[in-house]
This record gives sequence, structure tokens and C-alpha cells, in this order.
Amino acid sequence: MNRVTLRKTIVACAVLAAALLLAIVLMSLLGSEPLPVRASLCALASFGTSTCGLTQDQFAILFQIRLPRILLAAAVGGSLATAGAGYQALLRNPLAEPYLLGISNGAAVGTMIALVFFGTIEWTRPILAFGGALVATLAVYRLARGRAGATPERLILAGVIVTTFLSSVIVFVTVLMDATKIRSFTFWLLGDLSGTSKALLPLTIVITVAGALALTLHARSLNLLMLGERDAFDLGVEVGRVRILVFLVASLLVGSSVAASGSVGYVGLVVPHLARLSLGSDNRISIPAAALGGALFVIVADTVARTIIAPRELPVGAITALIGAPLFIYLLKRA
Amino acid sequence: MIYYGRSVRTHRNQFVWMAVVVCLALLSACTPGRTANNGPTREITDDAGRRVSLPTKVDRVVSLAPNLTEIVFAVGAGNRLVGRTSYCDYPPEAKAIAEVGDTIHPNIEPIIALKPQVVFVSTASQLEAFTQQLQGQNIAVFVTDPHDLEGVFRSIEQIGEIVGEKDRANQLVQKLRERTNAVQQAVKLKPLVKVFYQTSGEPLYTVGRDSFVTDLIRRAGGASVTADVPGAWPKYSNESALAARPDAIILPTGGSMGAANANVVEALRQSPAVLNGRVYKINDDHLARPGPRLVDGLEEMARVLHPDAFGK
Repeated sequence: MNRVTLRKTIVACAVLAAALLLAIVLMSLLGSEPLPVRASLCALASFGTSTCGLTQDQFAILFQIRLPRILLAAAVGGSLATAGAGYQALLRNPLAEPYLLGISNGAAVGTMIALVFFGTIEWTRPILAFGGALVATLAVYRLARGRAGATPERLILAGVIVTTFLSSVIVFVTVLMDATKIRSFTFWLLGDLSGTSKALLPLTIVITVAGALALTLHARSLNLLMLGERDAFDLGVEVGRVRILVFLVASLLVGSSVAASGSVGYVGLVVPHLARLSLGSDNRISIPAAALGGALFVIVADTVARTIIAPRELPVGAITALIGAPLFIYLLKRA
Repeated sequence: MIYYGRSVRTHRNQFVWMAVVVCLALLSACTPGRTANNGPTREITDDAGRRVSLPTKVDRVVSLAPNLTEIVFAVGAGNRLVGRTSYCDYPPEAKAIAEVGDTIHPNIEPIIALKPQVVFVSTASQLEAFTQQLQGQNIAVFVTDPHDLEGVFRSIEQIGEIVGEKDRANQLVQKLRERTNAVQQAVKLKPLVKVFYQTSGEPLYTVGRDSFVTDLIRRAGGASVTADVPGAWPKYSNESALAARPDAIILPTGGSMGAANANVVEALRQSPAVLNGRVYKINDDHLARPGPRLVDGLEEMARVLHPDAFGK
């Protein structure tokens, strides 16, 4: 990496990381229950070692309910935006996105199978979601591979087919399920962070960080791939290996986020676009920027979701779509 | 050749058209709806505020919700019930009746084929287009949507009236009222217990001001901490549930819910209710179905909230 790019990457990431940290702290102060601001900041600054005069309930609200949910929002947003950025670079298609390719629906089917057959055994959810995402990816890839190799157009078309097919599978499963479970499912399908599981949170965060790092380290290859697979190959990129890596990493990212929160839409599409529009299309900058920006975006969206009609709640997916769609149209018009 | 072919084709076309016309005529002649509701009618206003025109003598009804099936049987009209949903599992005799889908996805064709005069729906299953289709077949649709125990009693009386069992329905309601009054008398002087009602845990749902359960909790000597939340079954904030510091948590579970909802949501594990062991599981079929068994649910709830009020 040359010095200018490196500096630009570091500056952009530092600014975004600072904004993310600020968002985590500020959004922790907002919720359906008002908390004393100064005491909360003091407790947050002590990393929960001191209550700073918060009552036991307030302390529990801050550290056991709000903060885990905000961290999960960050992990989910980071995962989806990174996966989106990875697909867009690999497929040289700005519309490539976990949802459009059917990867999210694959993960959703995997999670549903885990919920139906293993019920309360939480760790089966991300594993089956990853499996579902990977199967969907392979299905898309096989469907897309024509005589002339996988063209971006064919891939997107295959993705649409896999998406609609898996949507039907999801509808089918919900019809077969108990009425009592359907309501929570419709919420979950829209993307919902309120069921934050302490058991899955660390895993989701680790996968997000590792996935974003893995794709950032391959950003140079992805840059060359944007010239076309043939040229990238001639320039020494192991095209097949990079492709498999992106598919695996993205499946892992999408699988763990869908298992934890359902299908939060628009993040994988809007955030990488924003990153490229503001920082340029160099993947060495746009991938880590998308990861941090995605985390920021979902944290803010979820804060809106859990406060706007408090003490009732909305699913975060409704908010990301409400913010995401107009923002996207605005960006398209301006660009 | 060409002319010959064309004339044969023309004849064939004419034949096809004639066949179509004959079939249409036959179909319209035997559309079941046209003959279902003839004769004298009366009007009753349902919970959706619609004035429903009903035949004076009703002997074929379909129920699209388990509580309505229970009411039809309780007023002694089980033998007139010709269709029910797959959720309608009580009383056991109900299971012998033809299924017409479930409450959320009722199936229009078998309903029409059963030629009912009235279809009872609860708002949970109320589907605009679906209702219109039934009315297009001249099948009356009667909507129930009780928001409190009085509303449930009204549903029982109205359904009784519709199926021609007014006296039995009134007797049933009178008995239910007596049991309700007995509960309310017993808990009258007891201090109110702050109750959180966990409809489901993941994600967290509770009961709001429009739910008949909120009324039930009040009558059982409790105060729902979410009694003022708009809506009937709102999705609720975890932190608000904890901040409300409920003294008791009620989990509807073990009936149709099976093993679902058997645990208190993680956010409430440190609430006074859990710390003091005041978490009560009550059969969800007695609390979630606004029918006669709701009073069973009321009695069970009052007993757990105020065990000392019911000497044993």
C-alpha cells in the first residue's frame, strides 16, 4: 500500500471509529427509560466497574440490556455492510448485496430450521445460518456459471431466482408453524435486535471483526478484480481463491448476523455506496469504511426503533429501510 | 381445402362458445350462496360496528377462531357448527368437525362448500378481502372483538342469540358473572399486585390497554404495569419492563403454546418478581381465548396473586 492510500485509510478509519465510539456512548444514554446522564457516563467510563450512583435497575438497564443491544447492532451493521462491499467488488456490480443474491434468505432458512428443530439451543442458529448462507451462495454460483464463466449479470439473475425460491420456503415454513410463533417470526424476518442473546453476542462481534479484516487484507486483489477477471488473473490474482474466500467470509458474516437479528435490510446496499461515494472506490479504504459505517448506521437506526414509540418498539429493519431507501435515491440523483 | 378447414374451425369455435355459455349458466344456477340466506332476516351490530343481516333461523355456522368455537359449544349449538379452524381443539367434540384452515389462513373454498349461513370471525383473523368474498356469496360474517370481560360476555350473548340459544347463553353468562363477582369480592380488600404479563419472550410482547387480559388482571386484584400502553398486544421494551419493577410475572404457557413462553425473558431475571419467586405459569388457553374459559383464567390468576384470599 502506498503512503498516500495508507494515510487516507488510517484517517478515514480513525474518524469513523471515533464516530462509532461516540455513537455507542451517546446511544447508550437514549432509551425508553430515562437514565441520569452524568452517572451513566461515569459508569460507562469505568467499564461497569463502578455504579456511580446508578440504582441496581438502572445499572442493569445500561449494562445488561442497552449496551449489549447496541454492540449487537454494531456487529450486525458491520457484518452486512462488509459482506455487501465484498460482493460489490467481486461481482463488479453495485447492486450485488447479500439480500439480492439470496444469501440472507439462505441464512434465514437455516436459522428457522434451528429454531424449529433445536428450539432453545442457541448455538445451532449461527451454524445452520452459516450453512444456509453457504448453500445459497453455492446455488447462486452454480446457477450463474454459464459456458462463458460466471458473468456478473448471470450471477445477479441467479441471485434473484434463489432469493424468490427461498422466500417461498420461508413462507411455507411459517405457514406450517404454530400460530403462537408466527408473530415473533414476522418481527424477526423484518430484522429485530430486541432478543439480543448474551451467548451469541461475542461470537457475532468476533466474526464481524475477523471478516472485515480478512476482506480488507484482500482488498488489493479485489481492486484488480474490478478490472475484470481476465485482467486480474494476468496481473497475478488467484481469481478462484479470492472468489471462494469472499463467498465464505460473506456467508459467515451474513449467517451470524441473520442468526442474531433476522434480516436487517438495506445495510449491505446503502453503506458501501456511501463509503465509495465519499471516499472513492479503492477497496482498501471502502471495505473497512463500510464496516465501521455499517455499525454506525444500524446503531442509530436501532436507537430510533427502540425509542420513537417507547415503551413500544419497532423492528430495526423497518427503520433501516425507511432511512436507507430515500438516502439511496438521493445519492443516486446526486452522483 | 382451405375453406373446408376454416368452416370446420368455425363450427368448432361455435361449439366451444356454446359449451362455455352452458357451463356458465349451470355454474350460476348452482352457486351455493344464492340460496343460503333466504327468508326472514334480522340485524345485529357486531364488534366491528357493522350491522349484520342474519336469517332468523340459523342452523349452519362456521367458526374461524378457537374462542368462538368454544362459545358456540358452550351455548349448546355445537351440533350446528359445520366448520372450524385447525386451532379449534376444545371441547374435544370440536375435533370431529371439518377443518377450514387456520385462524390466520382460513381457506375460502371449503367454507363456501359447507354452505354456512353465518361465519364467526375474531379480529385476529379478520381479513378484509376474505370477508368481502364471503358476503359476495351471501354468507353473513359476524365479527367479535372484545376488549374486556364484559365484551366477552356480550360475544357469548350475541352468538347465543344468533344461533337461537338466547336463554342458554344468558344462563351461561349469569353463571360466569357470579364466578367473576366471587373472585372480585375475595380480592377486593387485598393490596394490588403489580403484574407484568409476558405474552411472549423473544421478542418481548405484553398486553396493552385494549386487551381483555388487562381487564382480567384488574379483576384478579392486580395492576398490569403496561395497562396504559396503546394497543392490545404491543411489543414492549425490555428495559421498560425491568424498570416497572413488577411484583409478579404471569406466563401464559402450557396449553396451545406447548413449551413455548415457559421462561421469563432474560431482561427480567433480576426483577422483584423473579427474585421473590413470584412467576406464575397459567394455561394460555384460559387467558388468550376470549371465551367462557376466560373466567377459569381469572380464577387461576386471582389465586396465584392472592393465595391468602382463597382459603384452602
